[in-house]
Amino acid sequence: MDRRGFVGSLAASGAGCAFAGARALAAGPLQDPFGPGTALPVEEGGLHPVPARWNRPLPGGAVECGVCPRACRITEGERGTCGTRENRKGTLYTLVHSRPCSVGLDPVEKKPFFHVLPGAAVLSLATPGCNLECRCCQNWEIAQARPEQVPSSTLPPDEVVALALRKGARLVAGTYTEPVVFSEYLLDIARAGRARGVRTLMVSNGYVQEQPLAELCGAIAAYKVDLKGFEPGFFQRHTGGELRHVLETLRRLKRHGTWTEIVALVIPTQNDSEAEVRALARFVRDELSADVPVHFTRFHPAYRLQNLPSTPVSTLERCRDVARAEGLRFVYLGNVPGHPGESTYCPGCGQLLVRRMGMAVAENRLQSGACPGCRRAIPGIWS
Amino acid sequence: MIVDRGRRRTLGALAAGAVASSSLVRAAEAFLPGPQPGPKSALSRALVALARRPGVVLPDGALAPALVESGLGAAVARAAGEATPVAAMRRLFRPTDVVGIKVNCLGGRGVSTHPQVALQLAAFLQAAGVPAGRIYVWDRTDRELRAAGFALSSSGVRVFGTNDAWGDLADWGPSASRFARVLVEDLTAVISCAVLKDHSLAGVTLSLKNWYGVVHNPNKLHAEGCAPYVAALSAHPLVRDKLRLAVVDGSLGQCQGGPGPAPNWSWPYGGFLASTDPVALDTVGWQVIEARRRELGLPTLAADGREPRYLAGAATLGVGVGEATRIETVEV
Repeated sequence: MDRRGFVGSLAASGAGCAFAGARALAAGPLQDPFGPGTALPVEEGGLHPVPARWNRPLPGGAVECGVCPRACRITEGERGTCGTRENRKGTLYTLVHSRPCSVGLDPVEKKPFFHVLPGAAVLSLATPGCNLECRCCQNWEIAQARPEQVPSSTLPPDEVVALALRKGARLVAGTYTEPVVFSEYLLDIARAGRARGVRTLMVSNGYVQEQPLAELCGAIAAYKVDLKGFEPGFFQRHTGGELRHVLETLRRLKRHGTWTEIVALVIPTQNDSEAEVRALARFVRDELSADVPVHFTRFHPAYRLQNLPSTPVSTLERCRDVARAEGLRFVYLGNVPGHPGESTYCPGCGQLLVRRMGMAVAENRLQSGACPGCRRAIPGIWS
Repeated sequence: MIVDRGRRRTLGALAAGAVASSSLVRAAEAFLPGPQPGPKSALSRALVALARRPGVVLPDGALAPALVESGLGAAVARAAGEATPVAAMRRLFRPTDVVGIKVNCLGGRGVSTHPQVALQLAAFLQAAGVPAGRIYVWDRTDRELRAAGFALSSSGVRVFGTNDAWGDLADWGPSASRFARVLVEDLTAVISCAVLKDHSLAGVTLSLKNWYGVVHNPNKLHAEGCAPYVAALSAHPLVRDKLRLAVVDGSLGQCQGGPGPAPNWSWPYGGFLASTDPVALDTVGWQVIEARRRELGLPTLAADGREPRYLAGAATLGVGVGEATRIETVEV
């Protein structure tokens, strides 16, 4: 596929790139994300195999992948659960390095990060693949596909950074699918970006092993974790993974000192009980920090979960009330454009600090990261 | 296993009887569901034909054509209860069918379906009246087919990979997948032409596990020893209703280290297995692998924690017979 066709496919794919209501950003799929281009050897099917970074050999030519807690034992010719890592003659390769299938320009609020440079533009990108299979996956066309099944093009790390700068973005995010599966690529982007003042964000399910997480935390600016439930049975049924690994990632992020925000997608009747929400809030308060922003986000039917209605706003408001009652200081509502719960308020004096409308910042009253009223410092990345 | 050298001619009588004239055949075809090997779920017993042809694997790794034709032909014929493979194909397929021969090329030139075996099946089909242009040999990708030694072809008997031609999303219980468009839109009948191979997670990969190559996301289907996935996938109407014949190319087997090629665990079994019941076929193939493991002092798959539990699951879903005492293995 040529580059123009690829870009067109992005617009057509609806792969989470388009958004409405954002402030004056040239938002959505980029019309021409590519510069002069770097020729990389690409195999049939658009694969660009690069030796994987985290793995260990097993007897008989198999390899154990070390990227995510699944620790897939991959024999010759096979791939791991994510579909992006393949054993070739005893060496594990990532097939998606420098091969994004989606590239777009978003406001940082879309990720969502509400405590990272409000209103800033983010160059968002994704490669195919995911290590979980959530029943309501919004981007399943790319997240639940193998690399050769999705049109992709070549964008090496240096070009990602250059593209971000050309578009006026000081942030790059691995998003839309699961950046853990393209950790090598994102790590290289983060390192390339640092030297040029471009920071990198992870928008992730948090299903990652300790070693890659540690290396990523040394290079990225912030990590958003989708906490898809707080009841282990539901989590397993809904995602195919184990909740405990995500909770451990959150604890590790705290130890690494990486700015973290949490999204909790609230699915009616599935993970919206008061007890579950309260348990989640207590975990955040007791094991992370009451300053960690938690976004209770509205579910809409998608992928395999078509039989449930969208989450009532009143349910989200109840979740927010429960979390606040447990002491969390920054609790937001997501996917409810125009709701006051999108905005940031000072936990000290209650003053409105950042007013948001949809994914746009309508007003930002923060002064050097502090409340202009009571001067309380607000945690986050503000400059 | 029960070895019974008798014949059964209880199936397909309707199709066989409606041959008074070509016009009658056409008229009947308009109303009848077509040749069927089953209903498998209603069978109280199943038959698996096993043809051993020692020496079929030549020193250079190629297969001896005459032994392929002889062994495969004998197995196919017996599986359908016919005297010849052409009669068997005539019984199982119509000239108007579009027949897909699903091969398994994951093992490269190591342990994959041999091109000679797939093409011999195509030759039997043609001799039975299915035009070459209505016979497809296919797998997931062109790349894997080529790596296994297949020559891609877009004319005559077509040989091709699904590549990126996947259909709409279908939720089939344990997962949701896009099925190969050729299976959804083109094929009216399918032959599973699998391999005789150990699998590090599923236990064995034979004719049922071969269906992982018709969905776009096989990487998502390996939890729990693949058991719920293989069983449900093989019971999906797109698969079960189109399957007419299951064959295992056991010219070369691999009893450990699969599904990738492990030459040190491969052996020239020199066997061809065929059945209209894929569960019975895989049950017998599994025992062939277990026997080889015993010879080499390897633990049983159950002791290794990877007994192929999907066979019982598939049997429960009515895909076929999984109880060994109800399976007749007939050596031919």
